Amino acid sequence: MEEFNNGDEAIFNADEATNNIKECIEGVIGGMDYSQSKVNQWSASIVEQSLTHLVKQGRPFKYIVNCTVMQKSGAGLHTANSCYWDNATDGEIIHHIGSCTVRWENRTMYCVVSVFAVAM
Amino acid sequence: MSEAHKDKSVRRDKKTSRVPSEGSHGVKNTAGKTKDSLSNVSCMEEHHDERMVVTLENTYQLGPRKRFPTPAILEILKDVLTNYLEEEEYEVERSRQMAKTLCEVIRARAKELMIRRYKLVVLVHIGQLAGQSMQISSRCLWDPSNDTFASWSFKNTSLYGVASVYAVYFE
Repeated sequence: MEEFNNGDEAIFNADEATNNIKECIEGVIGGMDYSQSKVNQWSASIVEQSLTHLVKQGRPFKYIVNCTVMQKSGAGLHTANSCYWDNATDGEIIHHIGSCTVRWENRTMYCVVSVFAVAM
Repeated sequence: MSEAHKDKSVRRDKKTSRVPSEGSHGVKNTAGKTKDSLSNVSCMEEHHDERMVVTLENTYQLGPRKRFPTPAILEILKDVLTNYLEEEEYEVERSRQMAKTLCEVIRARAKELMIRRYKLVVLVHIGQLAGQSMQISSRCLWDPSNDTFASWSFKNTSLYGVASVYAVYFE
């Protein structure tokens, strides 16, 4: 059995999540160039690993992880999100935010990962 | 007996403070220079003078009374994306604003459906068509019997738009 952290904190820690996700991305697509045939597998691994790290924290949340990988070609990309939830448990509480977005890039591609945590 | 029970649940819904918030992230690449922007807009729908800590009573309700209608949401997404993006050309500032607007509009229309106890997350991507390749994927950890999602993509000659709505049941 993997170690399961029985944390009773019902607050989503965005900083910790951000660091974990950055490590996941680095691990999967770190020094690679964009490849159409592999991108499917890459995004699936990034998302799965991020989700596993989040679950290990043992907090009472449902998670939505969204990953976008785009080839660098001079084109622009805009991403927006809008959420209807309870700000006390899912939204901003001082330093803890109910969502976090991580942007990462290398020479040939961009990667944007968004995580939403909804309290149960 | 059942009526009293219904009254309790109605009152409880009103107490939860629903605060919509939107954030947008844009990655612009103009002539080799990369500019990142992140903006966060939060608006309070109900004005509370003091923050109340609400202890919720037991509803003894095991599942949603009415399931989330995925086809209806899909129709909303198709409708909104087509109407707003049909005649549009990709243009940096306009597209940034358009992404935020689309999010707000989709969320407002989904709320109109008045599906009780469902929290919503709306995600919109608008990008320029420049022969590049991209992949958008998402994975969720939730209860598949109650929670669902819908997504739709739209394309015209100069831009593409992808919208996703995730609906999460609040127990």
